[in-house]
Amino acid sequence: MGTTIRRSQGGRLARRIGGRTLIYAALSVWAFIALFPIYWTVSTSFKVARDVTGSHIIPWLDFTPKWLGWRSLGLSPETIFQTSTVREEFLLRFFNSVVASGGAALIAVVIGSLAAYGLSRFEYKFGPWRNKDISFFFLSQLILPPVVLALPFLILYKELALLDTKIGLVLIYTLMVLPIVIWIMRDQFNGIPMELEQAAYVDGATTWGAFLRIVLPIALPGMAAAFILAVILCWNEYFFAALLTSTDAKTLPVMVASQTGSQGIDWWTMAALSTAAIAPLVLIGIFLERWIVKGLTAGAIK
Amino acid sequence: MASELMWRLGTQMGRRDVLKGTAALGAAAALGGAGALAGYPTSAKADTALRMELMKIPGAGNGSPTDADWQKVGSLCMGPTKQNVQPGEFKGVELSFMGLNNQNLHNFLFRGFLKPWEQYTGATIKWIDLAQGDYNARLQQSIATGTVDFDICEMGAPFEGDVCGKGLTSEMPDWVKKQIDFDDYVNYLKPPVGTWNGKIYRVCIDSDTHTMNYRTDYYSDPGLAKAWKDEGHKGEWGVPKTWAKVQEVTKFMKGKKIDGKEVYGFLDQPKPWGGFAFYFLASRATAYVKYPGEKAWMFDVDTMKPRINNPGWVRAIQDVVDLLPYEPADQINADPGTTAFQQFLVGTGGMLEWWGDIGTVAVTSDTATVGKQILFDILPASDDVYNAKTGKWEVLPTGPNVAPNMAYLGWGIYVMKTVDADSKKHKAAWSAAALLGDSDLSMWTSAYPSGFQPYRQSHNNIPLWVAGGYEEAYIKSYMDSQTTSYNHPNNAIEPRIPGIFQYYSIAEDELSKVYAGKLTAQQGADNVAKLWEALTDKLGRDKQIAFYKASLGL
Amino acid sequence: MQNEIASRAAADARHRAADAAVAKRAVAGRRLIRAASLGLGLVVLAQVLSATDVLPLGLATWRPTLFAYIVWSVALGISQVLIRGEQGKQALFLLPALLFTIAMVIFPTFFGLGIATTDWNLSSLTGVHFDLFGNIATLAGDAFFWNALLNMGYYVLSVLVQYGIAFGLALLLNADIRGRKFFRVAFLLPFMLSPVAISWMIGKSIMEARYGPAATLARMLGWESPAFYGVGWIARASIMTMDAWNWIPFIIILLLAGLQALPGDVAEAARVDGASPWQAFWKITFPLMLPVSVTAIILRIIFELKLADIVINVTAGGPGGATDTVSSFIYREYRDRSSVGYGTMLAEFYLILIIVFVTALLALASRWMRRVS
Repeated sequence: MGTTIRRSQGGRLARRIGGRTLIYAALSVWAFIALFPIYWTVSTSFKVARDVTGSHIIPWLDFTPKWLGWRSLGLSPETIFQTSTVREEFLLRFFNSVVASGGAALIAVVIGSLAAYGLSRFEYKFGPWRNKDISFFFLSQLILPPVVLALPFLILYKELALLDTKIGLVLIYTLMVLPIVIWIMRDQFNGIPMELEQAAYVDGATTWGAFLRIVLPIALPGMAAAFILAVILCWNEYFFAALLTSTDAKTLPVMVASQTGSQGIDWWTMAALSTAAIAPLVLIGIFLERWIVKGLTAGAIK
Repeated sequence: MASELMWRLGTQMGRRDVLKGTAALGAAAALGGAGALAGYPTSAKADTALRMELMKIPGAGNGSPTDADWQKVGSLCMGPTKQNVQPGEFKGVELSFMGLNNQNLHNFLFRGFLKPWEQYTGATIKWIDLAQGDYNARLQQSIATGTVDFDICEMGAPFEGDVCGKGLTSEMPDWVKKQIDFDDYVNYLKPPVGTWNGKIYRVCIDSDTHTMNYRTDYYSDPGLAKAWKDEGHKGEWGVPKTWAKVQEVTKFMKGKKIDGKEVYGFLDQPKPWGGFAFYFLASRATAYVKYPGEKAWMFDVDTMKPRINNPGWVRAIQDVVDLLPYEPADQINADPGTTAFQQFLVGTGGMLEWWGDIGTVAVTSDTATVGKQILFDILPASDDVYNAKTGKWEVLPTGPNVAPNMAYLGWGIYVMKTVDADSKKHKAAWSAAALLGDSDLSMWTSAYPSGFQPYRQSHNNIPLWVAGGYEEAYIKSYMDSQTTSYNHPNNAIEPRIPGIFQYYSIAEDELSKVYAGKLTAQQGADNVAKLWEALTDKLGRDKQIAFYKASLGL
Repeated sequence: MQNEIASRAAADARHRAADAAVAKRAVAGRRLIRAASLGLGLVVLAQVLSATDVLPLGLATWRPTLFAYIVWSVALGISQVLIRGEQGKQALFLLPALLFTIAMVIFPTFFGLGIATTDWNLSSLTGVHFDLFGNIATLAGDAFFWNALLNMGYYVLSVLVQYGIAFGLALLLNADIRGRKFFRVAFLLPFMLSPVAISWMIGKSIMEARYGPAATLARMLGWESPAFYGVGWIARASIMTMDAWNWIPFIIILLLAGLQALPGDVAEAARVDGASPWQAFWKITFPLMLPVSVTAIILRIIFELKLADIVINVTAGGPGGATDTVSSFIYREYRDRSSVGYGTMLAEFYLILIIVFVTALLALASRWMRRVS
């Protein structure tokens, strides 16, 4: 009896260790898959031509890191204090990207959360439209391939004098991420028990009062998550940026795409630019990752 | 800071003063003399001493030029501007400039060149940078929606049909024509190509022709020469001069090795590229379809009936289909740019059609690793040529048919009509365009990574290139291939009609099916012809015919 | 008695007063919205007259209409509260998003529908003509479109594979592991790269056939001359791989959030019952995760249906259309060939297909979930 128990415990332990090894192996493999291309991008920004074509992977071991890519952006140690049109261009675009994606995400989260709360709590009726139809109306904005909107938006923005303005870009990005924000936030609010507000109503709170004082604080992490997702989606938007901006409101992705053309490609510059472009998002990932998942958790299960 | 000081000095002192202080003056003058002695044509206005100075910024083999170099070049070339414009004359003028950002060249170069100009004239320039893939779409949409928000634009000649054809450009004033030394252009860029309906609109900053680039080490390799004989091929082992030989050599090279590395022959560019990839097929086809003495080769000039499905074109398409199995494994999906700069220039492939800039990029940029192992030739010939008028293949009494393709006809600077109303703005815009089209400045853009290649007779001055660090044999081969193509009596000029890139793009899509083996060459070509006919009807056949004739000077 | 009557009368009076106040407010609300609508109408009329040069008002842009619309929107909000009281206040939650979306899409939608019925080509010198039936006929016979649509079927199916992988990874992340923070951040990062950067740094650098590390690996595994885009199905698989790499983090995030919200005692109860982890997963975790899964899959499918950037950059739809997506084809038609009329027609048709498809999917999912639970 005793030995069998011990043996089965031993077996379970072995299986446990085996299982844990498997788990860590799987985790490590995927971590490698996820990180290698990013490592490749960063390391390529320190390569020269023969390192790129020579399949060199590990710095110092099989290639000597050079500042070539960063120099072409005016961001290497020896060029950083010189005038550089490319760096000026990069910084302007970087700043515009921050404004456009941050602004759009903010607006989308504010009006999107309000709408999501409404859709989650009240019965609406606009003509033949009920909540479900309204939700689908918002969602359907996500479906349209952006290319169809090109010419109409070009004309609309021209008539409204919004071409090449940051506000114009913010507005179209807001439209772009609003459906996602509403979708996420509706789940969030659905996950918050209605009893909380009802208790507040009994205490004499108004609809808006209960929302602002009771529900909003609970939903904040979810809003943070929606905000971060929206920023990520806007940050990389290319099509409308290329179409609707020219001088004052231009953003980073167009510059990344400009690194290729009839002269082939300078890998180091492309890599350096890509690295610089994702750096802020990576920082968001590292420092705010907790918030994304935590924020979404509340509304995940109804 | 150093660079800023440098261009400030440059603008204040003027180019001649800068040069006076240098000991190089005597040597430069001597070299200029040597150039003249050696029989190279030099333009009367070309300033050899200045060009000597320019060619050394930063010197071939010293890596890619930087921002500081561009500004230096601009300030050294301010002389003609200063003769026509007073300091501060354009104060308060703001110009908007639309152009390409191709790997931080094109518009970024222009920024550098024009910085001293802005400083001197007091005008400011706003820059609109477009990625190459967006360029056509953006241009067309701006025109169609009336959002032309630029005063100056960098544009390829094929788009003239869309822009000049709609009367959107400003005609070149005489003083600009003089300042940029229009007569120095290579002959084919003079009327009719350099004009639209008999008027001059474009400041050339570039020219184009496809030439054949080849690896010298492959065609002088004794091992391959022996194998060539052993396998019973006719003739000596060497650079193929006809397309038939190109096919034969490429098939022969499959599986061969030099120093243990696989070698390949010709590299095709079968992947669509927004219209640009069609040029590579066209360059393969011109020897077959460009009949001497007849200017049209893509459409019948009187009816716009496409010739793409005639036996000449179909042979060119079939050639690509036949060769693809003998090219590198991923060739069907290799970008044209990748093919030139990631394959050929770094050691894969022995032959390639490309524009002239590959020759300068090979030795002056950070990209290339094969550098000095390449030389140049005009496009291969064909033993027979298809005569579309008689519908027969003909062997010409003059020998194999050669027809260099002036693919794309070069970039130019155009001033938009919107500035015509304001005389100050008009002069400012043209002055800026003239600086970019300056003959001395163009010497520099021809020699260094810029996206532009030689386009003036005075560029054919070998000692200058040698002074800039080029090897004589190399640059001679390069300039010979360029000038022979430019001056060839049977060179092929594409139609500058509205929507020409739509025709190219349609063809690319259908051809990609042929290359993937889903259609035969004839089927694909027939489809293209059908779609081209429909497009012509949509765009307006009569007008297209009229534009086509005008663009060919008929 | 008297008191009672008096108090009742007082109450009635109060009610009546309140009713009167309500009625008064409602009237004021109606007046407000009528005035605002009239104002908006006048501004629009003035703009139309100015734009058609009937009245030389010198209005350079349509901004006055924009401002009038904003004012009208505010008035609408206030009047809703005045007219409908509590219900109006509830409407205030929805109105900003609704009015914003309508303002942004109403013109593009109608303008787009209008364009779709024409033969507009930007390079055309003969102008724009009505050509709805021509467009439909072209669409019906357009081999590229139907081929791309078939490809979309494959791409949508690949979402299920992405979901499977993402679910596995989310379970691993949710397990009791060391270095969880590191793994979670690492798994999230691919989402941050733009499709353009992915196309170049992965599609054309890592998967470069000669010196890319992926090719080196493939050669080590015995593939003699690897070409990731040479043959149709391999090219499609390569595109799917990159797309999956980019988007799996998005699904992981949603699923992980779902897993963390699961009550802990459920899994505990299962273990006590003696169920194996495998059984516990299928009997308990998976059903509980269904709502989140449906959300994740549907959102993901909607994004997948717009797949274009990677295809445009890496394969341009080739070889021979094997990787073409509807969006990338429309891009070529619309951008490279300036075929605005027909391109828009394609897009509108595709939009209808997607809406039908997504609606059916949503209905199916909700019915299925009801049956399961």
